[in-house]
Amino acid sequence: MNNNMIFEYELVCLIINFGQASKSLKIAKNNGINGGTILLARGTAKNTLLEFLGLNDIRREVVLMIANKDNTDKALKEIEKALNLKKPNHGIAFTIPVSNFLGCGDYDFSLKSEKRSENKNMFNSVFTIVDKGKGELVMEVATQAGATGGTIINARGSGIHETSKIFNMEIEPEKEIVLILSKISETEKIVTEIREKMEIDKPGNGIIFVQDVNKTYGLRDK
Amino acid sequence: MSILFQKIKDNLLAVIPIVIIVMILNFTITPIENHMLFNFFIGSLMIILGLSFFLVGVDIGITPLGSLTGSSIAKKNKLWIILLSGLILGFFISIAEPGLLVLANQIDFVTSGIISSLNILIVVSVGIAIMISVGFLRIIFNLPLYKLLILLYLIIFILSLFTTPEFLAIAFDASGATTGILAVPFILALSVGISKLKKDSKASEKNSFGLIAIASSGAIIAVMILNLFSKSINFSEEIVSNSSENISSVNSFFELIPSILKESILSLLPLLIMLLILQIFSFKLDVRAFRKIIFGFLYSFLGLFLFLAGVNGGFMDVGTFLGEQLSSYDNNFVVIIIGFILGVFTIIAEPAVYVLTHQIEEITSGYVKRKAVLTALSIGVGFAVALSVIRIMIPGIQLWHYLLPGYVISLIMSIFSPKLFVGIAFDAGGVATGPMTATFILAFINGIASGNENANVLIDGFGMIALVALAPIISLQILGFIFKVKSEKRGVKNNE
Repeated sequence: MNNNMIFEYELVCLIINFGQASKSLKIAKNNGINGGTILLARGTAKNTLLEFLGLNDIRREVVLMIANKDNTDKALKEIEKALNLKKPNHGIAFTIPVSNFLGCGDYDFSLKSEKRSENKNMFNSVFTIVDKGKGELVMEVATQAGATGGTIINARGSGIHETSKIFNMEIEPEKEIVLILSKISETEKIVTEIREKMEIDKPGNGIIFVQDVNKTYGLRDK
Repeated sequence: MSILFQKIKDNLLAVIPIVIIVMILNFTITPIENHMLFNFFIGSLMIILGLSFFLVGVDIGITPLGSLTGSSIAKKNKLWIILLSGLILGFFISIAEPGLLVLANQIDFVTSGIISSLNILIVVSVGIAIMISVGFLRIIFNLPLYKLLILLYLIIFILSLFTTPEFLAIAFDASGATTGILAVPFILALSVGISKLKKDSKASEKNSFGLIAIASSGAIIAVMILNLFSKSINFSEEIVSNSSENISSVNSFFELIPSILKESILSLLPLLIMLLILQIFSFKLDVRAFRKIIFGFLYSFLGLFLFLAGVNGGFMDVGTFLGEQLSSYDNNFVVIIIGFILGVFTIIAEPAVYVLTHQIEEITSGYVKRKAVLTALSIGVGFAVALSVIRIMIPGIQLWHYLLPGYVISLIMSIFSPKLFVGIAFDAGGVATGPMTATFILAFINGIASGNENANVLIDGFGMIALVALAPIISLQILGFIFKVKSEKRGVKNNE
């Protein structure tokens, strides 16, 4: 396993108007991305009058997808076209490099993360996306493995195993995202533990991805 | 797009189908006179604007208040505080509900004052207050909703053996009347506020719904018990039919303003007082957040006023007129179909339905989409209205011929269907019977009944509301089954 292959993967993050996430996910799936997770969010419009009247809320959706670089480029171009992202107020999209990615069935990467610098304050953010209700189990496993805390975020999403429709609407089952910040030295232990206990390597049980974090505030040593 | 414009767009799409149907009927079988048609158009405009403002107000005012209240109650972590606040909140919300006030006056009138309206108000409010407390307990102790509901409906069934037919109809109507336009968003947010503090996310999700259903069963039980203690009352048919006539006699918008203004203020006042008291003693929100909630209340008030004026001034007459004209139409089948279509599209414009579907979307992070719930709800209500029309045409069918099997089916389904949908479905039953159904569809049904010699106007109207409350319970649980089957992963064994 070489590290170059790992770095071909990136996390696509779309922030778009409410109601367009399912559409984007569908386009992404047609372009080789295996699945995605959707979060509900709220934004505000920049308008003084509306702000005064308390009407400046906008409903948004955030879409997270992981794939290798070739596919994300292709998919993002299609999504940009379909959602008119070039126009103002139609949403934004960006990608973040991912250092490790697990649980996508076809691929199996070694967990050796690249030690590129000896920065003392290097942390990883570990994202685990599982079916609704299992987030707490992930937290429990992670805490036993040395994580000091974590955040569970409600989301919905679908992978390749889950595609169906009701009344011509896409269904995306509910998921939970567990976000854990861990020291690089502990990341491997935490990830391995989650991976084994949640059987992430079996298809359909969830995914894990790890990102490098440059700075953290408010984290304390045990 | 700001939320206000988003809502205006949504509501435009919700109201336009009704306008189109009325237009088609106007040009084909039932020409409507110009004056009435003009009122109908003004009414539709007012409903679109009113709904939009109201829903924005609910979003930034009522829902945050309910959610904050729920959380602060749950954080107290003392059983007696939870029980007491359930009692106070339940009593407070229901005693000011305009729908209940109307119902109480009606019963007062029908029983020639033997049961005074004040009595009914207090008895029903106490019933709801107790049930809200029970609902709180259920959330905290994680008791499955279907078990509680089966128990409650068993009590209702036993009581119904001893109640007179008139009171049976009134009791079921009371459950629809109390879960009104403001109580629904508040109770929903309240239960979400309590249950979201739970650690177990699955339980928290399914516990978010069901409180409305429990509360409305309180109203049914209260009215039935009231009947037990006042057995000797005889209903006079004459008065019964009289009382229905003065419901739909007002027709100009201007005449309606004072009464609707009063109704809007009356329904918002208890919530406003609650907000002020809790802000001082418990929430202590910063000025910015507090100001936003106050603005929310202002929008709710404005929206409620416009909406009620539009429905009462523009839609009710057209509903009655259509019903009367259609009852003399030869082809019964066509009339039933029209009833079905009206039911399907009217429910989309029901404000509480919007709130419920919105809340479902938020809580399930968009997994259960608004459109899916709306489609199931519409089909259910469509059937309910069609069945009501059939009941008027065939005098042999009694209300309980529908209600008994309906509730038996829905309770049996509740044991098997996904628990999230059990809560949603039973809540939707209370939610569907809002002001839009209670005016437009009720007027339509009354119109058909009054054109039909062997139908009783008031009894048939009551029956319609009970059916509209029942149908979504079944149709949404069916939706739950479909969701369950469709969300299973393909090619992967589910290890749950």
